[in-house]
Amino acid sequence: MPAISYEELTPGYEFPPASYELTPALISKYVKAVDSSGVEFVPPLAIGACAMSAMAESLSLPPGTIHASQEFEFFKLVPIGTVINCQAKVVRKLARTMMRMLVLELNVLDESKERVQSGKATIVLPLQRTNAQ
Amino acid sequence: MLSEICGGKILPPVVKHITQEKINLYAEASGDFNPIHVDEAFAAQTPLGGTIAHGMLILAYVSEMMTQAFGKNWVSNGKLSIRFKAPARPGDTVTVRGKIDSIEDKESVSSVNCSIECCNQKDETIITGGAIVKLPFLERTADV
Repeated sequence: MPAISYEELTPGYEFPPASYELTPALISKYVKAVDSSGVEFVPPLAIGACAMSAMAESLSLPPGTIHASQEFEFFKLVPIGTVINCQAKVVRKLARTMMRMLVLELNVLDESKERVQSGKATIVLPLQRTNAQ
Repeated sequence: MLSEICGGKILPPVVKHITQEKINLYAEASGDFNPIHVDEAFAAQTPLGGTIAHGMLILAYVSEMMTQAFGKNWVSNGKLSIRFKAPARPGDTVTVRGKIDSIEDKESVSSVNCSIECCNQKDETIITGGAIVKLPFLERTADV
C-alpha cells in the first residue's frame, strides 16, 4: 500500500494497523540503543516506538519533520514475546502559512485485544521550500 | 525503587551522553531514519543546523528514570505528558530530573504527580512535562 501524504490526510483518518512481535532480539536491540540495562519486561517506550513506526510506515513525511509533544498512558506489563497491534489515527491537522502540524492518536493492543498503551503525538512538518527561500 | 514516596521527593536523575552513534543505533532499533537524525549533511542545511536526537530516545531516558523510581507501577500504570522545547544534539550530556509534586489518595489508589525536566550541559531545557503513577495505596503507606 503506498504511503499517504500530509496533504491527503484528514482528521479521523485511520492508518492501516500494524503488528509487531516483541522478540527478545528486538527488545535487546532497543535496550542497547537507549543505553539501558537488561529488562524483565518490555520497556513501555519500546512499545511507543513501535506505535510511531507503524504510523510512519504508511505516512510519507518530509525530511526534517520533528516531534513537538507526546503523551503516553501505560495500562499493563507486557512480557517479552508478546505480539502487539498498533493503531494510529489523525485527530487534528493544522496548516498555516508558517506551520504544518499533525496530532495523532496511538493505541496499542495485545493478542487478547487488551489495551496496552495509548498516546498522542504532535509532529511539526517543515515548511515547503519555494524558489524564493 | 524509591525508599520513600512523598511530596517534594527528588527522583534519582538519569544522565546520558548523546553521540551520533547512539542516535544511529536508535534509528536502527526504531526504524526512524528521518535524515534530521542521521544525515549530517542534510541536517546542516536545515534551521536546526545539524543532526538531533530522536525525541523518543530522550523520552526513553525519562521512562528509565521513572522505572527506576517506581518499578512496575510505572510500566503498568504510568502516564506521561511532555513537550519538546529544544533538540538534544550529538555531544550533549542530557540530565533527566523529576520531583514528586503531590500525591492524591482516592479509594485504594494513590496517584503520584511528578514534574519532569530534561536539560543539557548548558542547563538549557530540552523537555518539560509531567508524569502520573498510580500506586496501590497500601504499598505507598507501607514505605513511608
